[in-house]
Amino acid sequence: MCEIVSSVKRDYIIDLAKQGKRVDGRTLDQFRDVSVEVGPIKSANGSAQVRLGNTRVLVGVKIEHAEPFPDTPESGVLIVNAELRPLASPSFELGPPREKAIELARVVDRGIRESEAIDLEKFGIKPGEDVWAVFVDIHVLDHDGNLIDASALGAIAALLNVKPPEDEAWSLKEFPIRKRPVAVTVSRINDKLMVDPCLDEESMMDARLTITTTEDGSICAMQKGGVGYLSREQIEQAYQLVRMKAAELREHLR
Amino acid sequence: MIHVHDRELVVPGQLIAEGSYRLQEGTFREGNQVYSAVVGLVDLRGREINVIPLQGRYIPSRGDLVIGVVIDSHYSGWIFDLNSPYTGNLFVSDLLHRKVDLNREDISGYLNIGDVVIAMVKDVDERMRVLLETDAPGMGKVEGGELVEISPVKVPRVLGRKGSMLNTLQDATGCRVSVGQNGRIIIEGKDQRMMNAVVEALLMIEREAHTSGLTDRVRLLLEKAKSVGGN
Amino acid sequence: MEKPEKLIVDGKRLDGRALDELRPIKIEAGVLKRADGSAYVELGMNKVLAAVYGPREMHPRHDQQPDTAVLRCYYNMAPFSVDDRKRPGPDRRSVEISKVTREAFEPVMFLELYPRSVIDVFIEVLEADAGTRTAGINAAAVALADAGVPMRDIISAVAVGKIDGTIVLDLAKEEDQWGTTDMPVALMPRKKMITLLQMDGHFTEEEFKQALDMAFKGCEQIYEVQRQALRKKYAVKEE
Repeated sequence: MCEIVSSVKRDYIIDLAKQGKRVDGRTLDQFRDVSVEVGPIKSANGSAQVRLGNTRVLVGVKIEHAEPFPDTPESGVLIVNAELRPLASPSFELGPPREKAIELARVVDRGIRESEAIDLEKFGIKPGEDVWAVFVDIHVLDHDGNLIDASALGAIAALLNVKPPEDEAWSLKEFPIRKRPVAVTVSRINDKLMVDPCLDEESMMDARLTITTTEDGSICAMQKGGVGYLSREQIEQAYQLVRMKAAELREHLR
Repeated sequence: MIHVHDRELVVPGQLIAEGSYRLQEGTFREGNQVYSAVVGLVDLRGREINVIPLQGRYIPSRGDLVIGVVIDSHYSGWIFDLNSPYTGNLFVSDLLHRKVDLNREDISGYLNIGDVVIAMVKDVDERMRVLLETDAPGMGKVEGGELVEISPVKVPRVLGRKGSMLNTLQDATGCRVSVGQNGRIIIEGKDQRMMNAVVEALLMIEREAHTSGLTDRVRLLLEKAKSVGGN
Repeated sequence: MEKPEKLIVDGKRLDGRALDELRPIKIEAGVLKRADGSAYVELGMNKVLAAVYGPREMHPRHDQQPDTAVLRCYYNMAPFSVDDRKRPGPDRRSVEISKVTREAFEPVMFLELYPRSVIDVFIEVLEADAGTRTAGINAAAVALADAGVPMRDIISAVAVGKIDGTIVLDLAKEEDQWGTTDMPVALMPRKKMITLLQMDGHFTEEEFKQALDMAFKGCEQIYEVQRQALRKKYAVKEE
């Protein structure tokens, strides 16, 4: 079942955008109310529930033994998976992750991996045979737009919250997180850029750009989405927006 | 013998009465007992028992005014999303109020996917196949304005007793407000600020539908919007 | 973990409960925005979320039933909900639980009111602590009511078991692991009709009767908590 934004609503959103306003009363550069609840799931090594307006995402981190990749025998393994559970939206269907869930997981993964937020080198147990695997499972519970930013924030919040496994093979004093990558998504409707698209905006935006940055503003991941295009100026404008908002989102991390 | 009082909140399976009462929506009978089937408010009128549901989808019924969104077209008409488990079907002859020779006329120009139409439910059969028509003034394709979607169970409150709340919304703002039984509402007007005030009022009604003093609070909200308008 | 020597000491269980005592339970109705109805249940350390969509249009169309709604239930455990991470996706246990859950609700629904449509019930276990299927049913019942789906009653469920030869109510994780018998029961409390019954282990006839008595009492307690959760959500809206 597809999400229909009727032509009347579409025109209304475009009209508001021309005046720098949005359907829910926000300005173009405003995020919805953000809340990050850390550690709700005790069966996970680390967990966080993020609310971005009505969007709700639960992220759980599990740390288990695994075989290393053959070309990096002493490095730990990071696996990010996302489930768009059907309870979160009438448009989510049962079944293995399809392109939306896969893209979501891979974008969040890129942010963590490319920023080298986790020092995977420290996760070897027995070279070539046994290393620590860090599973980051994103469980979307309520979809009201901008799952990427909510999931990425949840992922890093959960990682920061990790209590290592009670296992004699765990030798580190603390879980080694070095950076706090944060994703910010900017959407384009006509010639206006706006951050944190809600569901109605997502359904009719021309394009979106997600930029993941670390504390010093350097970019570790980017993803353009949507059927439309973005100009060079719009991308650079988006980066300025992103830098500012990433710092705000980072305030919600422990 | 009635076991609850009027306007009491009841839940599914709750005993409402024993005896020979006339049952309306939201209730069912087992032997001599009458129970609530939904979460709702008991509405007692003489020997009639009704439970007004506080939640639920819209189920089309003949004579309902509805606001639909075109989701598909077929050879002789269009299929509408009605914010319901059931879609509606509008034949081109019921849109144009005349016979149409489909061999000669290309009907695809009249409506597109995503268009919003105010219509009436002409008929619903036992398989819940819904026929629509646009045979009255004010019906047909909507060309502008704002579309608001609220929970269908709140529509009676938006209309008010004998249309009183709807009149308040229209008179205080000068906007035309078309209320579909399916929870969709179209607001048309010249003043964007007044239209926005209606949207705000509708959301307030949805939130506070079963409280008292609501009509006054809505009137206050609309008066404020008018004065802020700056005269 | 090793098996504890005794699961019951001086009439008290490992977590201090009496034999017929439920774990702490909390139920909240209407917790999700998109779903038509939803509920969240905590039972012990169990954290279960249920959501209902429907009645809604059924796809594919050839699966539609011409004169009735179809009820579908899906029970799923999040990968991080258990000690050893569970690979995402349905496993045989989830499929069976989904089926018996659906069959626990079918007797109380008025499916013939909504021909050609579907009512979807999704149960997500976010944290598991034994008794997830009964917690899921309790959540789903509230979610269905929250969605405005008409029902003859609110279904309540609880598990009873046998540990150290004694019948107990609402098995905790260690009791489930080291006990001999587990029997989940779902009830239509108003008429005391059983809509779900499963059992694995060993019961004499006498023990079975005792266990059913205990299950009935447990369900009635849960029934009250479910009704309260619904009243609480909607009472805020009314005067």
